[in-house]
Amino acid sequence: MVGLIDCDNFFCSCERVFRPDLARTPLVVLSNNDGCVVARSKEVKAMGIPEGLPYYQLKEQYPNSGIVAFSSNYALYGDMSSRIVSILREEAPDVIQYSIDESFLDLTGMDHIDLHKWGEHLCKKILKCTGMPVSLGIAPTNTLAKMASKYAKRYPAYNKCCVIGTEEQREKALRLFPVGDVWGIGRRIRRNLEYIGVNTAYDFAALSKDYVRRKFHVTGERTWKELHGEPCIAIEGLDGVTKKTIVTSRSFPEMIRDLADLRSHIANYAARCAIKLRRQNSVCSIVTAFIQSNHFREDLIQYDNSASHSFLTPTNTTNEIVEMATKILEAIFRKGIYYKRAGIMVSGISSADTVQPDLFEYNPEQSQKYKALSTALDKINGKLGADTVMLGAQQYRDKGEDGKSIKFVNAIRRAMKSPDYSTSIGAFVVG
Amino acid sequence: MCEEGITEGDILIVDRSIEAEHGDLAVCCINGEFTLKRLCLNRGDKIYLMPSNRKFRPIEVTRDDDFMVWGVVIYTIKANRRRRSGTQRW
Repeated sequence: MVGLIDCDNFFCSCERVFRPDLARTPLVVLSNNDGCVVARSKEVKAMGIPEGLPYYQLKEQYPNSGIVAFSSNYALYGDMSSRIVSILREEAPDVIQYSIDESFLDLTGMDHIDLHKWGEHLCKKILKCTGMPVSLGIAPTNTLAKMASKYAKRYPAYNKCCVIGTEEQREKALRLFPVGDVWGIGRRIRRNLEYIGVNTAYDFAALSKDYVRRKFHVTGERTWKELHGEPCIAIEGLDGVTKKTIVTSRSFPEMIRDLADLRSHIANYAARCAIKLRRQNSVCSIVTAFIQSNHFREDLIQYDNSASHSFLTPTNTTNEIVEMATKILEAIFRKGIYYKRAGIMVSGISSADTVQPDLFEYNPEQSQKYKALSTALDKINGKLGADTVMLGAQQYRDKGEDGKSIKFVNAIRRAMKSPDYSTSIGAFVVG
Repeated sequence: MCEEGITEGDILIVDRSIEAEHGDLAVCCINGEFTLKRLCLNRGDKIYLMPSNRKFRPIEVTRDDDFMVWGVVIYTIKANRRRRSGTQRW
């Protein structure tokens, strides 16, 4: 059997752990730069407010609704997620973290126990230890476990845990489940299915396997098989994935005109990409920079461009990637444009263990120096906090309110960010 | 909280996972606010909170109060060096 743990309204719940006064207050969490609503509490969902609504529209359309808005507090959310996963690892034979708020549990060898009782206990334990409400679905396949978790979330009678164990339970679950909500069935397939009168998961499973294979190919067939209780979709956890391209990009809170400002942003994105490469023990052979004007300001000149540079010897050092990134930025920069977004992408990714140095260009001494520098950066910043030490190119021109340099993590607008309660001593104060 | 041996600037280790017992010092949430209270749980179903001043009687938590034990304080880390206030007394 397989389990799927899904946190209820994850970001909102994280904020509420340290703000019990907001337990029943309508709450939203906003995206980077306080742009749009990315998380809504139960009360906000009940008001009919859609996900992705721009914050300024929320303020305009619901002025006296008592909705409390928070900026994203990734440090808090990441830490709460780790705490939940560590509890899962204590209780389940194997845990595959699927996203920040969902994990799959491998429950092999647990068929002899009362899984529903076990599941209820697990959800209660997580709530007690972390303050986070979660829902659990248990079933023979990942797709059915996802379905079960949705039932557990929606109907209080399940007591946070829904088990699809018998054939009868499986059939009932399929009959009452809209086909568009099935994991793996997207909007396009759902429209095609509705066209032929398939509205529930049961209807979809009732189609012949050959028909599904013909119309919806391998992925559709796999979903079909899983709905029938035949496991065939493997989960790749967050840790396991080695990315083939890595992007770091952001929109700016205010538009940028100066090359110097743009350069410091690009340097930070490049440095971030280098860190991500080193973290997965990879090197890249191509770095691409892209810059964009503000597409929402039709009154201003629109200009989007990008440029790439190939490394003769694949690399993951901060120096080389930042240096190249700023060089190609200068090639595509145009004066007089108000830039709203920029980014760096590294691609042509391969393992750092099998680097073939270029025969002519490779300078082993310099390469060693850059590698040693990057290692030192990672060590210091790992111990004392991100960006404790960085390249000069990464320094923003603007200083913070305390007169000190702004760090990458604060270079976006997060006016309503809560304190780093669970990761910073002194953030959680009790009288 | 000086009677508890806790002074401003100290660090508390709070454990949410354990069940609160009679006599525990707990981080409580009363009507939406965090506060430190010693719990009196030996009077049957009722919950009493020990006031910071030992002269006064325990306060009963009533049905009207929005009350929860957020976590039990299991250790206090005393800060030896305290941030000096504006006035220095010699």
